[in-house]
Amino acid sequence: LNAAPGRAPRQQIRFLPAPAVHGGRALELVAARVPVLAEHPLVRGPRFRKLKIGAGHRLDVKASGVFVLGVGHGNKLLTDLYNCHLTKVYTVGGLFGKATDDFSDTGKLVEKTTFDHITREKLERILAVIQGTNQKALLMYSNIDMKTQEAYELAVKGLIRPMGKSPPIITAVRCLQFALPEFQLEIHCLHETQQYLRKMVHEIGLELKSSAVCTQVRRIRDGVFTLDDALPRTQWDLQSIREAIRNCQLKVEAELEKTLG
Amino acid sequence: RRGLGVAAGPPSTRQLREAEEAAPVFQYAGKAARRKDRVFVWGFSYSGALGVPSFVKPDASWKKPRRIQTTPYRLETEEKISSAACGYGFTLLASTTRDVTKVWGMGLNKDSQLGFQRSRRDQTKCYEYVLEPSPVPLPLDKPQQTRVLQVSCGRAHSLVLTDSEGVFTMGNNSYGQCGRKVVEDEVYSGSHLIHQLKEFDSRVVQVVCGQDHSLFRTKKGTVYACGWGADGQTGLGHYNITSVPTKLHGDIAGVNIIQVSSYGDCCLAVSDEGDVFGWGNSEYLQLASVTESTQVNVPRHLPFKIGKVKEAACGGTGNIVLTEEGNVFVWGYGILGKGPNLTETAVPEMIPPSLFGWSDFNPDIRVAHVRCGLSQFAALTNRGELFVWGKNLRGCLGTGRMEDQYFPWRVTVPGEVVDVACGVDHMVSMVKSFT
Repeated sequence: LNAAPGRAPRQQIRFLPAPAVHGGRALELVAARVPVLAEHPLVRGPRFRKLKIGAGHRLDVKASGVFVLGVGHGNKLLTDLYNCHLTKVYTVGGLFGKATDDFSDTGKLVEKTTFDHITREKLERILAVIQGTNQKALLMYSNIDMKTQEAYELAVKGLIRPMGKSPPIITAVRCLQFALPEFQLEIHCLHETQQYLRKMVHEIGLELKSSAVCTQVRRIRDGVFTLDDALPRTQWDLQSIREAIRNCQLKVEAELEKTLG
Repeated sequence: RRGLGVAAGPPSTRQLREAEEAAPVFQYAGKAARRKDRVFVWGFSYSGALGVPSFVKPDASWKKPRRIQTTPYRLETEEKISSAACGYGFTLLASTTRDVTKVWGMGLNKDSQLGFQRSRRDQTKCYEYVLEPSPVPLPLDKPQQTRVLQVSCGRAHSLVLTDSEGVFTMGNNSYGQCGRKVVEDEVYSGSHLIHQLKEFDSRVVQVVCGQDHSLFRTKKGTVYACGWGADGQTGLGHYNITSVPTKLHGDIAGVNIIQVSSYGDCCLAVSDEGDVFGWGNSEYLQLASVTESTQVNVPRHLPFKIGKVKEAACGGTGNIVLTEEGNVFVWGYGILGKGPNLTETAVPEMIPPSLFGWSDFNPDIRVAHVRCGLSQFAALTNRGELFVWGKNLRGCLGTGRMEDQYFPWRVTVPGEVVDVACGVDHMVSMVKSFT
């Protein structure tokens, strides 16, 4: 970053003594454009000595996926994005037949159970009821008076969401893959933690009269940022970062405008 | 066992894996694990209509009676309940068993709408309030063979439909709604009389109770009616009382009707081709699309252009229909389900499917059934979710809150809702457990 050509130093107008134009020994003040010495690179030093980087929504050590970072002035946008309360999408992989103490497959084994009786239909039924109860929680925590016409309009469009603090709410769940003993779910949620999602997998196992552990939690979307915008490890260099920031700027501005007005 | 000279230390990966493989496997789901059938009730409990005696008379003196049950409460029943009906302060539950006891009733019994419930203290007297599901004694010819198909309850009378012995009616008959001749100054409380109706042109397949009238639908698609007719709800062309079930004509003559519905004083019928016919009270614009008069005593075809209608339900002041595509239309007066601004309309208005859980994520959610209480509506989706809206009279909506609900709201029931019966101030649902 420091190697990139910086701005040209500011010019200032100073009145400098210079020998008179038409001869003679008197010194006259002549206006001249001179660069400000305080901005000379040798005086100022390297332009960037440290960068302020802020992190967006938390991501566990055991989880992976999209992680939003704010650089420099972008940190101010981070708080605005947090106040938008947009949903995040995760792909959660699970395994039936085991129960561990921290709900993931690397924990201490607590119990093993049978799982041959589980079918995709039963799983979908449980997912439907999870969606239903969370839908109710969504409407209740959004603090809108249900008796108004405006609440009805928002409910029809599906735009009611809690705009303040609330417990984790799941807005949509869907089963992507089902191959006993493994299964994969796509979960859209708000205000959650990855450990909550692992606990959800464990509870699904219990509902189905068996047990389940979570093998994978991967965030594929965080508000407006999807996997396509995210940079993999090989692309963590200046050029790609700048390009990514440039591509996302429009999207972020549009979203902030729409939600916060 | 490790030797005495070996240090303990944290278990290595191999030891962990061996311990895991050696762990015992528990089985929680038995081989015959079947989905269980359950009954959930909610609403006003002091009439006994919920069937839970501890709500009305608590079993310990320090406990307080529960006047309103705002969320679904499980009711233990001996048999699988196939049909339920909520009347005005009482409930009937029926099962298709071949045992002697096929119908249970609870709630108000001041007009013997639950049959004669012999009091245990005095063998000649009858209970006026029944707090627990109690067997209803039906005078069947072959009690071990006949099956009860359906029950229906009105304001103070009830109908029981059997497969081979016709229809049994009990309760108040001051307007002839039980299908027998009106007896002057008859005392209905503590009456043993249960009337049997068999003379129809073919087997009766559906019975419906309005507030003070009864409708019977036969296999051939004809509709019979008896009872009070001052609003034209009997549909027989006059405004008098009818005490014998008489066939209806008008626009439904010759039409194969596949479903009838009524709860207040308005009636709706659906034909096999998807047309809707209505008659009865029209003070709340229920039939205003065909006539300006407030009482219609002959069935009239309602020319709605909403598609082929599959099911219809009538409430006290509002009506609801379900089309073949799965769309729900409401019209009438009251809280119709489209926000607080829509209070009355004579033309059916569609409720957006997104309110029933339809979205790009779940595009195949459809409404499967619609039901009506006096001023409430209920819709069941194909995923087994129950949505209610309307006036929340004494907590009958089951949402957990006491406020009226202006748009469809999910009721959290621990199971897949198969059927629901709505009453004035309580509701009963038949639910299948998840696993």
